[in-house]
Parts: sequence; C-alpha cells; structure tokens
Amino acid sequence: MPIARSTCATILLLAALSLGAQRLPAPAAPPPAPPERPAPPVRQTERPEEPQFDEAAVQRGRELMVARCGFCHGSNARGGSSGPDLTRSAMVQEDENGKQLGEFLRVGRPEKNMPKFELTEQELTDLATFLHATIHSIGNRGTYQILDIVTGDPKAGAAFFTGAGRCSSCHSAEGDLKGVGARYEPAVLQGRVLLPREPPRWGPAGRGSPPWADRNAVKATVTLSSGESFTGALVRLTDFDVTIYDPATQQSRSWLRRDDVPKVVLMDPLQAHVDLLRKWTDPDMHNVTAYLVTLK
Amino acid sequence: MKAAALSLGTVVLPLALLAQGLDPTLLAKPPVDAWPTHHGDYSGRRFSTLKEINAANVKNLTLAWIYRLNPSSGGAVIAGEGPESPPAGANPNAFGGLSIKSTPLLVNGVLYFTAPDHVWAVDARTGRELWHFFWRTKGGIHIGNRGVGMYGDWLYFLTPDNYFVSLEAATGKERWHKEIASVKREYFSTAAPVIVRNHVILGVGGDSLDVPGYLESRDPETGEVQWRWYTTPRAGEPAAETWPDEYSSAHGGGMPWLPGTYDPDLKLYYFGTGNPNPVLAGQSRGGDNLWTCSIVAVNVDTGKMAWYYQATPHDTHDWDAAQVPILIDGVVDGKPRKLIAQANRNGYFFLLDRTNGKHLLTAPMVGSLNWNKGINAKGQPTWDPAKDASVSGTLVWPTTDGVTNWPPPSFSPDTGLFYVGTHEAASVFYLTDTDPRPQGWGAAERRVGTFASSLKAIDYKTGKVRWSRPLATTAGGAAGGPMGLLSTAGGLLFGNDGAGNFVAYDAATGKPLWRAGLGTNTSNGPQTFLLDGKQYVVVGAGDSLFAFTLPQ
Repeated sequence: MPIARSTCATILLLAALSLGAQRLPAPAAPPPAPPERPAPPVRQTERPEEPQFDEAAVQRGRELMVARCGFCHGSNARGGSSGPDLTRSAMVQEDENGKQLGEFLRVGRPEKNMPKFELTEQELTDLATFLHATIHSIGNRGTYQILDIVTGDPKAGAAFFTGAGRCSSCHSAEGDLKGVGARYEPAVLQGRVLLPREPPRWGPAGRGSPPWADRNAVKATVTLSSGESFTGALVRLTDFDVTIYDPATQQSRSWLRRDDVPKVVLMDPLQAHVDLLRKWTDPDMHNVTAYLVTLK
Repeated sequence: MKAAALSLGTVVLPLALLAQGLDPTLLAKPPVDAWPTHHGDYSGRRFSTLKEINAANVKNLTLAWIYRLNPSSGGAVIAGEGPESPPAGANPNAFGGLSIKSTPLLVNGVLYFTAPDHVWAVDARTGRELWHFFWRTKGGIHIGNRGVGMYGDWLYFLTPDNYFVSLEAATGKERWHKEIASVKREYFSTAAPVIVRNHVILGVGGDSLDVPGYLESRDPETGEVQWRWYTTPRAGEPAAETWPDEYSSAHGGGMPWLPGTYDPDLKLYYFGTGNPNPVLAGQSRGGDNLWTCSIVAVNVDTGKMAWYYQATPHDTHDWDAAQVPILIDGVVDGKPRKLIAQANRNGYFFLLDRTNGKHLLTAPMVGSLNWNKGINAKGQPTWDPAKDASVSGTLVWPTTDGVTNWPPPSFSPDTGLFYVGTHEAASVFYLTDTDPRPQGWGAAERRVGTFASSLKAIDYKTGKVRWSRPLATTAGGAAGGPMGLLSTAGGLLFGNDGAGNFVAYDAATGKPLWRAGLGTNTSNGPQTFLLDGKQYVVVGAGDSLFAFTLPQ
C-alpha cells in the first residue's frame, strides 16, 4: 500500500504540473491512510417521521388482494385485464383506514361489473393496510430498494482498471483494494469508484464528522504577502476569507482575503477521480464495479 | 374593496383606506416604494430602478435590523384544519428547520412573508413583528413556501396541506380558506399566489404519486375557482398523442409549483410546468409528454392556453421547467421584441418570443451536461434513452436538482444581462421499478458530488456567458449555486457566495463590492424599496430576515 500511495502522489504531481498554477504538488509524504470504513447508507431526509404499518396486516392484506381482487386489478394492484389501478385510485388514496373503501365494497359498482364484496372488519382493515402501505412505499422514494446492479463484465472492468481508466496508477487489487468487494454494497462501491468522498447536499448541512476531517479532503496552501505559507485541509474558501484545518493539531486557522490576497492554491487528492467523472461511460462504470465486486 | 379597486386612478381615496390596502396600479409599475407582488412586478426581472444604494457607496451598507422567525403559536392568530400537534412528516426540521424562501411583499411600510404554515407581518422601519398567523396543518411536505399575494386589504397564501387561505392584512385574521388539492394524494403547495386584476393565480405541487398537475385562477373575494388548466391533455385535446393513452396523461404530473409572470398588454400569464410522472422511470409514458417541462402562456381571463414551448421533451430526470420565465422587452436583429427568457433546470438558457412562443435561442449554461442527444430544430435538447435510469446505474450530469432551480434569477435592462446561480453536480440514477407500469419516482438517485458552482451573467441576445464568478469551495466540493438575485439601477447585483455571505456584486463585471456574513446562505429572493426616502435591501437567510440600508 505505501508503494501504491507514493505512486499516486507522483501521478498527482505530474497532473498538477501539467495543469499549471492552480494546483500545488501533492505533499511529499502523505499521512498514513486510516483503514476505509463503509460509508453510512445514503438516507433521504425528506420525511423522517414515517407512519408505521403492521407488517402482518400488510401480508394478510396482500394475500387477500391477490386472491379476491387480483383477477381484475392485477396481482400488484396496479390494474389488470378488467379492473383499474388501485394504488393510483383517488378513492383508495383518500380512504381513511378502510372506511370509504368498505362503504364502496359493500355496494360495488354494478354498472361497471364490479361486484360487491362482503368483507369482515378484519379483512377490510388488512386490505386497506396493504393498499396504504403500498401507496406509501411508492410515494416515499427514500425507501426504494436498489436492485442487483452487478451486470457488468469483470474482465472488461479489470482491463479498464489497469488500462484506459488508469486506476492502477494509484490502486491495486492486492493492496488498498484487497477485499473491497466484501466491504461495500455494490451500489455504495460503485459510488466510491466515482468519488470516495461523501457528497455534500445542496440545502441543509449534513450530519456526522466534518468533511475537512476526511482524509480525502481538498488541501489548501495559503501564502501570505510575507511569503510565509500554511497548508491544511480546506474548510472554506470565499472571496473574503479562507479557513484551513490541520489534522495533526485539530486546529483551524483563517485569514481574511481581498483581491486574491493571500494567495490560495488548492490540491484535490481525488483529482484523478474528478477528472474521470467527465469521461466515464456507463458500461465502463458497470464493468469496473463488477470487477471490484470480485475482490472479496 | 372591489369598488375601490375599480375607481383607483380616477378618485383620490381616503388615506385610511390606503394605509393598509394595496393600490393595484402599483402592480403594473416597476417597484419603487412598494414590493407588491412576488417578483416585485409582473415582469419577473427582479430589477429595481432605485439607485440610492449604488456601486459607489454600497461599501457603507449597514444592518438596519434583524427579524428572527417566531414560529410559536403563543400570541399567534391560529387557524387550520389539522390537529393541535402537527402530524408525522409535517415537521419543518426535516428540511433543516424553518427557512425563509418567500420574497416579502412590502406595502405601506409593512413586510409580509411566510414559511410553511406561517405568515408574518413586520414593520419595515423597525423589524418589529405586527402579527403572526399560524396554520394547524394536516400534513404534507413542508419543504418551503414562496410567500403571499395581496389584493386590496387582503393577503393570500397556500399551505403544505393545500389550503388557499385569505387573511386580513391589517390583523392577520383569517377571512376564509378553501381546499385546492388532496394532501392524501401527496399534493403539497408552496407557490406564492399572483394577483392579476380580480384573478388569484396559483398552482399545485407534489410528484410523489402520479397525480395530475393544474394551475387555477380563483376569485379574490370568494376563493372560488374561475378556471383550471390541467398541465397534461385529456382525450381529444391537442398533444394527447404525446402520451401513450389518456390514463398515462391523466397521471402524468407536470406541477406548476412556482409563481409566474404576466404581460398586461397581451393578457398572458406565463409559467413553467413541472416534470412528468412517473418521475425517473419513463417506460410507461413513451412520447414527449406535453405539456410537462414547458413554458406555457395562458389567457388570464379564460385560462385558455395561447402557446407552449417544451424545454425537456420526455424528461426522465426531474427537470421541470418551473423556473421563472422572465419578460424582457429587448431588441433582436435591430427590432424591438417582446421576449421571454428562462434559465432552465435542465442546464440550458432559452429565449422565446412571448407573443407566440416562437423559439429564438437555446444555449448551454455549463459545459458538463451529458444527458441529451443534442439540440433539435425547435431548439429542444432531445431525449437520450441511454441516459435514463437503469438497474445498474446511469451517471448523469446534472443531478435532479438541476443546474439551477427555484431561486429567482434577475434581469437588468441596464446591463442586458440575465443573472443566475448554477451548480454542476452528478448523480447515479438506479431504476428500482422495472414494472412496465412503474409508479411514483420509480428510481433512486445516488449523488456523487458537486464540482463547480458559480454566479453567471448571460447576454440574453446570444446566450453567451458574459461573466461567471466561481462561488465558495469547501472540503466537500463547490458550495452554493442556485440563489435568489436582485439587480438595481445602482449597478448592483445582490446574491450570495455559497458560503453564508450576502454579497453586492458589480452587475457589469461580477466583482464583489460589499458583503455581510450572515452565517447561512440567503434562502430567498432579495428585494428592495424606498421608505421615508431611504432605500432598504431586505433578504432572508434561514430563519432570519435582514434589512440593510445606508447610514444616516
């Protein structure tokens, strides 16, 4: 791993030089990397307080729906040969715990060949619970389950890893990525292939440790007019101020800025990932993921 | 008030009446000593002719007062259909706490503004709260509220549980409320009503379930519907052929969730429609899916569509066209033209003729867009099926947030520049609902990061970016992006820097001339007005409203 990392620094140095004054050479001796830990699952924060549904009732309601309603309304309640979609039905969506649904079922809709149904209170509750739980899961995208995403070709992925993607300039299957396929869910792994850094969200600030404490945080070198310079993890750079963080002392330091003084030069340890982000084809991405999944 | 409204302009009204009520003639003029409608005037330019505060003296701009939102029900005027404690899911903390996304109206020295379930009236001279209206909610997504509309002595606003509420401006007391959509069907309302004569124009929002979108005009006295325009066609209507069937069209979304603009000469109201449903899974809605993701002009008296222009045919990335369509009276090829311009969430700047919707210009605002197959003869970016959500994941620039979003941009007739905050970010889109008839969103999004953010000044005639100012950078990447903007005849552009500074930029060059560190980014459109001969600039940042002025 040390070998891989110093190679990585060399590559970044070359990349930095070729990009000109905006980027600083990578530090000569990068700090030892802490072991990677799985990222917490990405969670949509849109609606944290969710109604709870009785799972047993949902299951009973599902069976009842398939047995009694599925013939016309489809086995997933999304409509069938002769009956409309139930999960998009305004009447079902606006139903309160089976009340309106029950009133409707006791009469049916004879003019459209919808027979009436005599359900027990328990059956009605179960059916309504199933339908409302289903509608809720459709409406709450934070709970959507990502499917089996590993469809790529591992061999092609390995070839991209060592070839066009130049991933092996910094990483190796036997070194830093050993066992990576066992450490992450495939979708998380694919996300980290693209950028192994937690994405900032537009809007409310995220929780957890500050992003500048991340070992992959952007680095900044601040050079004062005296010539004295300071390097640390970038906390913020604006037209008016700059703040950096020194992980060794856990202290941050800030300077006011005016007309680009003091001068600030940024170096992103993940610049190779950022550059590749504009170049990925989806098949290459899938293939590399499929390859890394094999590194158990 | 109706009689008073009709007689204004010919009869001098008693002062007592004017002290509270809005003089409707103000709505048709550039805002000076009032900010009487969401965008200041009907044009959507958010340009002020005021120049007491200008590029030469803005460095002296100083804080006049701060009003911190008081959300307590204690002392508030209380109304609403919901229970005493809000139901699950209606908690504003889910969205980072109460935040001012409304542009305050300023009428007769009083500022009126909102957050979901709340309206406040504040003395513009002192920042003192005059009254607070508290709505007991039944639920709905509490992500934001754009503000109030005003007609005579009355205010109008919408609630997350889809009530259209009229208040007495003097006291905050409720006059009536009307339900405009069902919260159980996951509609939620955020728009600021726009008042045009005796029409209150409002649109619904909410794309969690596959419900139809519509724009309504309601009577300002009774609250009843005058007309309703559905954003997708019904059987037999033109454009029905852009959907597989009436069922998919009637469940096709298209929420017009932001306030629009209005041309009094043409009597046309302009607005953008939202994304189609199901949102990210398009397999059951083959076709262009009109009139979603479109800039639409409707006759304000009849609700009949005059024209449309679709910015994203068959959208599969949640890029609605709801962003403010700004009216520009400009010159193209040496001829005066009535134009309309929009910085669209899909990453392109569009310029149209607003008399007939004829396309004039499409220009990318950033270089990272990867989602379409190029621009067609009508100037539309064309659908690329390869960039739809897929089970294995599809890398798309930009994210569902788009290159820009709801925060209002600005146009200055002095510089001829259209100002907009942008960001460049990527996401992987995973198809999760492979059913031939998917529902809801149908796919999950995993964000990769944000790699650039900037404030841009676009030459409306060419679409070329005249200047672009990078915003702040943090450890996690580029910060900020879409932001509410205000340009003035003082040569200034007010916005933020993505890192909590409220900034006055030189409108011609983008150079920052003044800033105030507010601790959090501005969260609404800044506005300005003249009061007692003094120019104020008012902006919201999170839970506080700030007023700035020059020292005595």
